[in-house]
Amino acid sequence: MSYLNIENLSSRVDDFLLDNINLEINKNEYFVLLGQSGSGKTRLLETIAGLNECTGNIFYRSKDISKESSEKRDVGFVYQDFALFPNLNVEKNIRFSSKYKKNENESELFDDIVDFLKLGHLLKRETEDLSGGEKQRVAIARALYSQPKILLLDEPLSAIDPTFRNSIMKSLKDIHKRYDLTTIHVTHNFREASYLADKIAIIMDGKIQQIGNAEDVLNNPINIYVARFLGFKNIFPTSLLGLDSTNQFFSVDPNIIKVSTSKSIEADYIFEGFLEECMGVVDHYKLFVNINSYQFFIKILKRDYEGCYADSKSIIKIGFDKKDICLI
Amino acid sequence: MRSKSFNITLVVLAFIIVFFLSVPILKMFIGVGSEKLLITIKDGEVLGSIWLTMKVSAWAMIFVLFTGIPLAYLIARYDFYGRSFIESIIDIPIMIPHTAAGIALLTTFGDTLLGDFFKFFGIEFVGTEYGIMIAMMFLSAPFLINASKDGFRKVDVKLEKVARTLGANPVSVFFRITIPNAKKDIINGALMMWSRGLGEFGAVIILVYHPMTTPVLIFDRFNSYGLNFSAPVAAVIIGISVVVFLIVRFITGKLK
Repeated sequence: MSYLNIENLSSRVDDFLLDNINLEINKNEYFVLLGQSGSGKTRLLETIAGLNECTGNIFYRSKDISKESSEKRDVGFVYQDFALFPNLNVEKNIRFSSKYKKNENESELFDDIVDFLKLGHLLKRETEDLSGGEKQRVAIARALYSQPKILLLDEPLSAIDPTFRNSIMKSLKDIHKRYDLTTIHVTHNFREASYLADKIAIIMDGKIQQIGNAEDVLNNPINIYVARFLGFKNIFPTSLLGLDSTNQFFSVDPNIIKVSTSKSIEADYIFEGFLEECMGVVDHYKLFVNINSYQFFIKILKRDYEGCYADSKSIIKIGFDKKDICLI
Repeated sequence: MRSKSFNITLVVLAFIIVFFLSVPILKMFIGVGSEKLLITIKDGEVLGSIWLTMKVSAWAMIFVLFTGIPLAYLIARYDFYGRSFIESIIDIPIMIPHTAAGIALLTTFGDTLLGDFFKFFGIEFVGTEYGIMIAMMFLSAPFLINASKDGFRKVDVKLEKVARTLGANPVSVFFRITIPNAKKDIINGALMMWSRGLGEFGAVIILVYHPMTTPVLIFDRFNSYGLNFSAPVAAVIIGISVVVFLIVRFITGKLK
């Protein structure tokens, strides 16, 4: 059995249903739960933490903890807006759990966390005086100080200045290893997921749509909805290619589609259509080409083509190879 | 130009209401004079009634702190059947005439089965401090309950959830996180309830004429001896109310 095993977990709030969730998460895995706003990812995270009523089972190290209260589960929780206690200063926030969870090396652990997260100069500060990044570090420190085995992160990067996101993502990976954690990280950002995740689950409308290792999930969406959510473009029926496939749809990356108005194109699939629109954006053009009433979106670099590629409504050829299509 | 005339209109209208609110208070002190005020402050009956009023109003406040805060928390945190109805019940005392409230209390806790039930435990409401307390509580509790409810609603439920994951049980979360973060509203509501209780007259006089609270004493002296004997007592209680109000403002201003 896995380290954390979630079986047939369901939880209802008003009209929203977290529906029959099944997940297997291994020890020290960085697990990313990817979904749009309102898909139920925070609800699932809270349910794992024991903060919501639910049916089904949660096994942690083979022990059913689904009926245990939140304070008895080995979880640390970091919310999107950090949820620091306004009535306590930074140090008291971090030490909040010391009253409930005793450990022999409290002082060493505190110093280590404060040092690692560079919080030493902030300890006596009030939480309302902190920046977004500082608040996040305090929230993580507070969770780590309670010595959780499972760290639950609810969109931890969404309230952070984009400039610092890359360095924080690296820090999250370092924290995960340094404190021997199993991490469940909730996000709507698939780039964040691709950098951090060992395993990814896609959640939509309270249901898990797809689960697998990060590369598989991000490159091979299981259905058209997942593909759209993951940012796949040019999703069309396979019948357009004349393919006799069990897959209903295919997708092709806008960056690898070849275009030409006059020259012939060397590609496995070549289509002719008319250009509906050409938009110049910084270093590239966005072309919208109508092929048999399907609109292809194509990106071409400005340095490869002079001026906007063709006049509107002009006939244009596009092409791409078999190896470049993703069957859905 | 338009903005200037608008501002002048605002100031004039504001001045009118400030005039009506402040002049009677000032007039009371000026009209009474310091000599009569000093004599009144030394009057044992006046001091006794002020102490009684303050003490019983504090009892009523403490009673609602223990019972009204849990109610306020339930209303703020849970969506249950009948919540709107309970919220309406809490607000009713604010709307009804205080004498009507007194009659309602008398018909409930006077010479009735419920009254007899409490008498069995040595608690009688007619002509006792318990009666003053229940009248004050009935009419002033909404101030504390509503303020607490607003305070709890301002506390992000995520704070409570995080505290649970850090090992705190629900009771500990309530006292370490919820109450401290709602304390400004709770203290404000408690002090408002207490100071409002000091002025309760209509319901108190129907349930309890003796022992006399200060508002009843003012009424009694006005009825028996006229304005000259009642005005100094009124000035003293107004002075105390003003001091209490300033303390409320000071404390709530200092709280985070």
